[in-house]
Amino acid sequence: MFYISAASTISHQPTFQNAGFSGMIVPLAAESILISPDYKRFIEAGLLRRMSKILRMSVACSKDCLEQAGVEQPDAIVVGTGLGCLQDTEKFLNHSITIEGLLPPTSFIQSTHNTMAGQISLSIGNHGYNMTHTQNSLSFEHALQDAMLLLTEGENDILAGAADEYIEILTEISCHLNVYPRSPLTSAASFFLLSSKEKSGTLAQIKDVATFGLVNSIPDTILALLAENETNADALDLVLFAGNISNDLTIAGVDPDKSLDYKNLSGIYPTASAFALHYAVDRMQQDKSIRNVLICNALIKSNLGLTLLQAIEA
Amino acid sequence: MDTLKEDLKKQIIEQLNLEEITPADIADDVLLFNDSGLGLDSIDALELIVLLEKYHGIQVTNPDEGKEAFKSIDTMAEYIRKRKS
Repeated sequence: MFYISAASTISHQPTFQNAGFSGMIVPLAAESILISPDYKRFIEAGLLRRMSKILRMSVACSKDCLEQAGVEQPDAIVVGTGLGCLQDTEKFLNHSITIEGLLPPTSFIQSTHNTMAGQISLSIGNHGYNMTHTQNSLSFEHALQDAMLLLTEGENDILAGAADEYIEILTEISCHLNVYPRSPLTSAASFFLLSSKEKSGTLAQIKDVATFGLVNSIPDTILALLAENETNADALDLVLFAGNISNDLTIAGVDPDKSLDYKNLSGIYPTASAFALHYAVDRMQQDKSIRNVLICNALIKSNLGLTLLQAIEA
Repeated sequence: MDTLKEDLKKQIIEQLNLEEITPADIADDVLLFNDSGLGLDSIDALELIVLLEKYHGIQVTNPDEGKEAFKSIDTMAEYIRKRKS
C-alpha cells in the first residue's frame, strides 16, 4: 500500500495551505487567475528572480509538502508535466527569432521539461533519484506509478507531483484548432509526499494507479481495475472525472450523484488529475463517509488514467 | 549624471530580472559578483555578455577582458567606451 503523507497545491483556487478548501471552492470563472503565495517565504531571492511561474509553483509546493510531513529529504523526486516550462520556452524562442547574435542563456537552460525536478532538488540539496515524466494528459499518473515502484523497491518517502503553466499562446492555438473548451485554461502545481508506511498525519492511501492508451471501452476498463482491486462501482463514494465520459461512468455503474467533473474546479491543463488527487484527499479529510474515491482522467479520451484511493482506517 | 552608467543599471535590472532593485540602489563602484554587492553568479555573467552585444553591439571574446569589465558599473562603462573609441 502507498500512503499520502502530505499534499500541496497552488492553483486558480484557494488551495495552498488551506485544508478544507474542497468545501469552499466553486467552479472557476473564465477570468480566474492563479492564486500565488508569497514565494519569498519558500525560495531565496537570488533564485526566485530567475524562476518562471511553473518553477515557483513547483518549488513552493514541494517545500510546503516536506514541511507538512516533517521530512527533510525525500528519497526521490518524481515530477509529471504535460507541456513543461512554456514561459521559458516561449521566451527563448522569441529571443531566437528577434535577437541577432548571442541568446540569453537563462530561458534556454530553464526551458526543458526536467527543470522543475532539477530546481526542487537544488533548492533542498537533494541527491536522490530525480525523474520527470511527460506523457501528455497522463504525465501525472506516470509520475505516480514511478513513485509507487520506488516505494515497492524499498524507498520510504517520495516527493511526487505535477505542474503545468498557461501562457497566452495556448488560447491562440486553441482558436486556430477550433477548440473552445468550456473550462478555462489554467496553471497549477500539486505535490504529494508518498510514503511506504502509515504515519500519524497520513491523509489517504493509494490503492492503484493505471494508465491506458487507445482505450476501446472506458466502462470495461474501469470495471476491470475495480475488480483487480477487489471492489466494485457500488463501493465508490466519489468519482472525479475529466473528459466527456459521464455516459461511460453510468454504464460502469457509477452513481451520477457521486460523480463530479473536476475540470470545472481545476480548469484545464494536462496534469489536472493531480489537482483532483489533492481535492479527493481534502474531501476525505473533511467528510469521513467518503472512503473510496476513483479519479478517471480522460482529458484526452483515448488516454485513460485511473487512480483509486482509499481512506485511512480510523 | 553619466547617462551610460544609468542605462547600464536599467539594462542589468531588466536582463537579470533583479526584482525590487532600482538603478538608485546600484552604486557605480559596487562589486557586481560579490555577495556584499549584487551577488551575481556565472549564469548572470553569460547574461551580461548577451547584454553588451544586445544593447551596445560589443562582443566579449576574451574571457580575461570580461572578468575585468564586469567588476562594477564603473568598469563596464569604461570597457564600453574603450571598445567603442
